[in-house]
Amino acid sequence: MILLQNLTKTVRSGTEDLTILDDVTIEIPDGQFVALTGASGSGKSTLLGLIAGLDSPSSGTIIVDGDEVTSMNEDALAELRSQKIGFVFQSFHLIPSLTAFENILIPMEIRGVRDARERAELLLADVDLVNRGHHYPTELSGGEQQRVAIARAFANQPSILLADEPTGNLDSRNGAHIFELMTGLHSARKITLVLVTHDGQLANQAERQIVLKDGRVISDQMNREDWPASAS
Amino acid sequence: MRFIFNLTRREIRSSWRRLLFFFLCIALGVGSVVALRSLIQNLTRAVGTDARALMTADIELSSTADFSPSEISKIEQVLNQTGIVEARNEATTTSSMASPVDAANPNTRLVELKGVEPPFPLVGEFVMDDGTPFDFALLENNGAVVAKILLEDLNVKVGDRIKIGEAEFQIRGVFDEEPGGSSGFRIGARVFVAKTAFDTAGISRNASRVRRRILYRTSDNPTELVRQLREALKGTTVGVQSYRETQENIGAQFTRTENYLSLTGLLILVLGGVGVWNVARAFVEQKRKSVAVLKCLGASGTRIISVYLLQILTLGFVGSVFGVVLAQAGLWIVRLQFLDALPEKMTYSVNLWTAAQGILLGVAISILFSALPLLQVRNIKPKLLLRDENNASLRKLDLTKWLFGALSLAGLLGLAVWQAGSVLVGVFFLAGLAATAGVLYLAALILTVLLRRLRVFGTFSLRQAVNSLYRPGNQTRIILLAVGLGAFVVLAVQSLQTNLVREFDFTRNQRLPSLFFIDVQKSQIDELARNIEERIGEKPETTPTVRARISHVNSQAFDFQRPEMRQQQGQIGREFAVTYRPNLDTNEKIIDGEWWTAGGEAPVPQVSVEEEMAVRLKVGVGDSITFDISGRKITAQVASVRKIDLRNTRTVFIFVFRPGVLDAAPQSFAATVLTRVAPTERQRLQRDMILKFPNIQIFDVADIVATVQKLVANFVLAISFVGSFVILSGVLILIGSIALTKSQRIYENAILKTLGAKRLTLGSILLFEYGLLGLLAGIIGSVFAVGLSWAVSRFILDIAWEFDPWLGLMGIVATTVIVVVVGCIASFDVLFRKPLGTLRSQ
Repeated sequence: MILLQNLTKTVRSGTEDLTILDDVTIEIPDGQFVALTGASGSGKSTLLGLIAGLDSPSSGTIIVDGDEVTSMNEDALAELRSQKIGFVFQSFHLIPSLTAFENILIPMEIRGVRDARERAELLLADVDLVNRGHHYPTELSGGEQQRVAIARAFANQPSILLADEPTGNLDSRNGAHIFELMTGLHSARKITLVLVTHDGQLANQAERQIVLKDGRVISDQMNREDWPASAS
Repeated sequence: MRFIFNLTRREIRSSWRRLLFFFLCIALGVGSVVALRSLIQNLTRAVGTDARALMTADIELSSTADFSPSEISKIEQVLNQTGIVEARNEATTTSSMASPVDAANPNTRLVELKGVEPPFPLVGEFVMDDGTPFDFALLENNGAVVAKILLEDLNVKVGDRIKIGEAEFQIRGVFDEEPGGSSGFRIGARVFVAKTAFDTAGISRNASRVRRRILYRTSDNPTELVRQLREALKGTTVGVQSYRETQENIGAQFTRTENYLSLTGLLILVLGGVGVWNVARAFVEQKRKSVAVLKCLGASGTRIISVYLLQILTLGFVGSVFGVVLAQAGLWIVRLQFLDALPEKMTYSVNLWTAAQGILLGVAISILFSALPLLQVRNIKPKLLLRDENNASLRKLDLTKWLFGALSLAGLLGLAVWQAGSVLVGVFFLAGLAATAGVLYLAALILTVLLRRLRVFGTFSLRQAVNSLYRPGNQTRIILLAVGLGAFVVLAVQSLQTNLVREFDFTRNQRLPSLFFIDVQKSQIDELARNIEERIGEKPETTPTVRARISHVNSQAFDFQRPEMRQQQGQIGREFAVTYRPNLDTNEKIIDGEWWTAGGEAPVPQVSVEEEMAVRLKVGVGDSITFDISGRKITAQVASVRKIDLRNTRTVFIFVFRPGVLDAAPQSFAATVLTRVAPTERQRLQRDMILKFPNIQIFDVADIVATVQKLVANFVLAISFVGSFVILSGVLILIGSIALTKSQRIYENAILKTLGAKRLTLGSILLFEYGLLGLLAGIIGSVFAVGLSWAVSRFILDIAWEFDPWLGLMGIVATTVIVVVVGCIASFDVLFRKPLGTLRSQ
């Protein structure tokens, strides 16, 4: 479960303080597929980053699977991400010096997984890139790069997948493919999926949709009752 | 650990091109250190280490006078109490004139004559140039064995007869190297004759500078015996030396030279370190996103730093090994270039232990200079993947960075102390380096501020080029510092060379004699002067000289048992030529006390001492110095201390007596002439004077100056060789710095192309940018080189200094050209990149 309580994030912009998130409280049960939507600058990506411990809030608490993220140091946060959180970015963020296969391998090597190579092969197959494993990111198309990024995010079998506009940089066909891939893996592995998106159609396919505006939650509703409420 | 090793391997595989400069910087630095150290080690082995063979004995007793009966009895008394003396012989050395007996051959030369007796040598081997061992029979019945060079000098061959002093000798053998190898700078070629022939030929009768030696071979460590002999002979002018001390002295001298050269190598390595620092900074900047991704995937900052540190260590190690290969190649080049100037037995391979030291040094420098940039990895936040913020926080200095900065500095100091073999020298080196870098950096800062004002002038390309020098993360001042330093070293050496060579130029010192005649007897001086005047039309200046040694200073004998005194033995324990005169010479100035007034008489003998000798002897006006003159002790009071202007000198006397006390002492005369005589006439004049006055010695100043000029030229060549490494390091830093700002340059060029700039415009921006950089670096190098060359000439070498505008100008032009060529080659590909790809990737 992800629990965000009275979360506020303020940054300094020139001489003024700019509030990006304003007293946000959200509870996401295990296994839920949540779409975070809102206009540009509404605080969606910041919220996602805070959940992953990529940044720290100005006030409020974040609890992930019972661990209070806000009180953790950098190394503990890294450990948490390694074990529980997968992240997919809009601009892929693959390591350019590593091949597609090695990019998938990396999180498992960080965690010290024994059969990392075999699992990386399987993940490559899951995203349908068996023949592209030896290619470097610059040699792959945008869609292929994002598929590698998804495979990488699932490498350590996380219980939470955070995706920040994963289809934003892709054409509609590739976008649809990536979305299907994520939701498919979500259903198959029963993980919590938090998806930041501008795309209303994609958001409508989520179990729950939270809308942010100027850093505040203005709407939080269930889309479809048939989505499982929890993984249990 | 597996993650660290795997990622390191993959990173090296993909980033090796970017880190090539890192590799080269380390390789060049390590190469310099290892090459310079190995060179001097090999030289030490080849020339100077075998002090025992050089001395041809274990113990040497030496004196400039005949050993007196009391001295002999003291020596024998000590020797009788020890049973370790195995063999003994005597040798006498002096310089003398040699000329062929064949009247048709006009050559004449000063030679270093050595009279020896069997068994010779007591230790070591003496091999003739045909490979046969020396046989004393060669010297019997007025035979002579001569250094090979004398055959060329006198145009004679084995079997010919030469005249030395009043005797004739037949050349029976030739050698390349004396026992113990070469013994450094020598004015005349060495000639061996039998000691009995030396004594009977009358050579030592009138000659000054005769040194008599008694040599012993011992069966055991001679240290205690030397101590006892020194004690017994205290207060006499007999010097006692064991080969072990000589060995230590030579060893210490070579170690000092080796350490100083290593510091030069370390300077190059530190410059390489600056390159490493630049490359590491660029590397971390380029890896920001990858680091953020790794952190996002769960890798801790420490593990990521470990990956990059391991990468640096690997590259540092491989670069250092390559440096050792470069050093070996450098030594082979030295062999090709300087084979004639270096000893025959010299080897040209890198010493294994030195190579290991070099590798250790290279790895240490890699870590020290990349530690701070690598620490920036800690500050890279994974959130930059969501929102790319400027990386000002990366450069922020926090406590850890200060701590690591201090540790790196301490490490560097440790390396400097290690290489210099002395804490003091190490500290001075680092402080000197910091001060030089600080001053050069300040100059770079001022020049760049001034340049900024020029931004409004000139064409678009020029304005854009000036702007480029101020782009964020620019390396302008670092490049100016590094390249300026290289130019500075090379130009300073060149400027010093010009001034040194000028100093030895005959035409400039009008008072430097062309010929010196010494050991002229009182009965001969008038006739000699008349003869010379008839031949060249100039009446020589004649000066009485008396040979003297210092026996006591303020009633205290020198204690050569003390090592610090022994080190000065050559300067204060030697025989001096002293003179007496009523007037001060035109090139002399009294700096303490007063010069005596002519005609008056003093209650005690008085002497005037040259400034540096006064410091060495720790004497001032009123102190007393006791001289031993032909066995008689004369105590004189120091009346004045003089400064001698060596630039305007005819003769130099360290000690000048007030007329009176020395008038009746055994003395000879020196005569000098200033007239420049053509070489053939000079040879003929020398030859005729030697025939008439066989006991005199003639120094042909042209020969000496030529020898000294050759030494200076070799010295300059050696320094320039090292200086070119410094320039090369500067160029590497330049390339590294270009790499650092390359992505920005590519982006700027893409925008300019999109806005319609043609390749020609972009090319001229490049040209102007590096032209300006080179110009500024050249100006900095030239200005500081002029300053250093002035200071060294004025305060260290004590020679006249002249400003050479051409050298400065050439320095500026050459530096500009180098920077433009290197800069343009390293950035050329930027002009050909397609803008769309670049803009999309941003």
